[in-house]
Amino acid sequence: MHIKALAAALALALPLSATAQEAETLKIGALVTLSGAGASWGQGMKNAAEIAADEVNAQGGLDINGKKYKVQVVAYDDKYQANEAVTVANRLVFEDKVKYIIGPVGSAPVLAIQPITEKNGVIVITLGFTDKALDKDKKFTFRPNVTTVEVAEPQITWLVKSQGLKKVGALFPNDETGHQIAKDLAEAYKKAGADLAATEFFERDRVDFVPLLTRILSKGVDAIELDGNSPTTAGLIVKQAREIGFTGKIIRTGGPATQEIINVAGPDSTEGMFVHTPVNPDLPSTKAYADAYAAKYKHPMNGFSPAFYDGTKLLFEAMKRAGTVTDTEAIAKEMEQIKDFPGALGNLNWTGQEVYGSNHQLNAPFYVAEVIDGKEVIRATCTVSGCE
Amino acid sequence: MDWSILIAQATVNGLIVGLLYLLMAIGFTLVFGVMRMVNFAHGEFYMLGAFGAYFLTTTLGISFLPALAITFAGAVVFGAAVEWSILKPFRHDELNGMIATIGLAMILQNLALMFFGPDPVSMPSIARGATRLGQIAIPTARIYVVIFALAVLCALYIFLKKSKPGRALRAVVEDFEIASIQGIRSKVYYPLGFGIGVGLAAAAGALMAPLFSVSPFVGAAPLLKAFMVVILGGLGSIPGAAVAGLALGLVESYSSLFLSTSTADMLIFLIVIVMLIVRPKGLLGQGEV
Repeated sequence: MHIKALAAALALALPLSATAQEAETLKIGALVTLSGAGASWGQGMKNAAEIAADEVNAQGGLDINGKKYKVQVVAYDDKYQANEAVTVANRLVFEDKVKYIIGPVGSAPVLAIQPITEKNGVIVITLGFTDKALDKDKKFTFRPNVTTVEVAEPQITWLVKSQGLKKVGALFPNDETGHQIAKDLAEAYKKAGADLAATEFFERDRVDFVPLLTRILSKGVDAIELDGNSPTTAGLIVKQAREIGFTGKIIRTGGPATQEIINVAGPDSTEGMFVHTPVNPDLPSTKAYADAYAAKYKHPMNGFSPAFYDGTKLLFEAMKRAGTVTDTEAIAKEMEQIKDFPGALGNLNWTGQEVYGSNHQLNAPFYVAEVIDGKEVIRATCTVSGCE
Repeated sequence: MDWSILIAQATVNGLIVGLLYLLMAIGFTLVFGVMRMVNFAHGEFYMLGAFGAYFLTTTLGISFLPALAITFAGAVVFGAAVEWSILKPFRHDELNGMIATIGLAMILQNLALMFFGPDPVSMPSIARGATRLGQIAIPTARIYVVIFALAVLCALYIFLKKSKPGRALRAVVEDFEIASIQGIRSKVYYPLGFGIGVGLAAAAGALMAPLFSVSPFVGAAPLLKAFMVVILGGLGSIPGAAVAGLALGLVESYSSLFLSTSTADMLIFLIVIVMLIVRPKGLLGQGEV
């Protein structure tokens, strides 16, 4: 008995004493989409976490109460699928024993992994746009990027006023997301004093929009809203609307996809299009991040990437304040308390109490841009409370 | 806009789209006629045709018409080579042949994914703006596409009706055994038939590329449309495909004008189902399938 107990004590003590001498490793999971349709977003999130990790490692590690931790990013691909996300979440939580996950990209994957992460106290920093991702009972989930819920209303109010819009037409995919966005936008336009007068729903694989656009244009709309459509579909709608002679405004109040839309529709059709964009490339802090990204990965960053760099930095800050890397409950509490944090996106605060029941939604500035010569030109700076 | 203009506009839209369906379906039905085999890789040849036209025009700077011709010729040769090298063992084993074409479709799509990436690219339009006939607006680019599509169909018609290999091919489509008895060599006409069939798919892809976007996934929707056209028109019947292609385009266009789009999509499938129940051999099919 004695020998057994001694052996057990030794077994416990040995790894502790071995690691105490050098910097310990702090693992951060990146559960993102690395292949297929959402890969550019997932890549941007993983790289953001890596850049944030590189920065603290360059200073000898993350300093928590005088103890240094080397940060290591462990990345897995969820293929934008809920079942795949659950598999890799199990692997991250139970085999790699991570306490922090950057990701997932999609709405369905984040909802699928939350039962695992919330129960095991794993902090999740997700992109998932669904309003169900944040909830007063989901204490460990945070979202560093603004979603349609945050951006639609201030932008629409500004656009309706500044562009004098009265009648707006829109096309949506015929599924849950499409119908939900249609409902939200109709309300937002009504509040702003305009009318979402013509809406059409179509099956997702559709490529010919001429008949639908003919119907919409026959109602005399002065703008077409593209929110809710995938980048390719939005591009096709723009192209075909211009082809049948539509001269009014084209607007996209959610989902950064400007470059993809220009790729599909061509620079002529997209001239003067108003788009939502989560980054202002001229902001010094954003520019510094974009340069660091381009230097390391040799390609320009995706619009969501800086939000996850900021998200990871906020996580580090919360660990420092809580003085622990294991007590995620304390860290999550400290995370909520962070105010006026200087991030790559600008001045950052948490919001969301009214909409989600918890302040786990980052309130970062966002912008309305006009497309001129295939490039975004910022026209208005917005926060959740409004644009100017 | 009043109703008469809307209906005229819908008719024009429907005929244009119908013509494009027709181009896709004729190749599909030709392959079926020759080989008695549903070619599930037809959509991927459409996709390859779209990429072919895209690279020829944007990277090599060739103008659209020669690019279309090169794409078509390249696809005929490639298709014939595929038939000769891969599908040959399945010539009298249609079921396994069909499964082979599903595999072929997956291979082609994933190869395209590896070489071209998942992001859609856009080919510059052949022409800009709209041409107006009275109050009806037609995208000018589509008028060009219609002219080219008609040219391709005319060439096919002349080839099948007047030329010797064309007549032989038709004989094979109509009755393979009798054709063989008359001394038509299947060794030549299997690869030729398959090659021309997928060549037409590639031509359809090349024609549609400037109207829509180009990505490795564009083949699925046209394959489904071609399937529906061929079921409506009768498997293996070229005139049937012509009638059904135009009719499908018009029905789609009218129904999305009068009904909501999702109802319209449902209606089309309903028509296909009713057709399968009431007249399984299709409008002009021979009923031997």
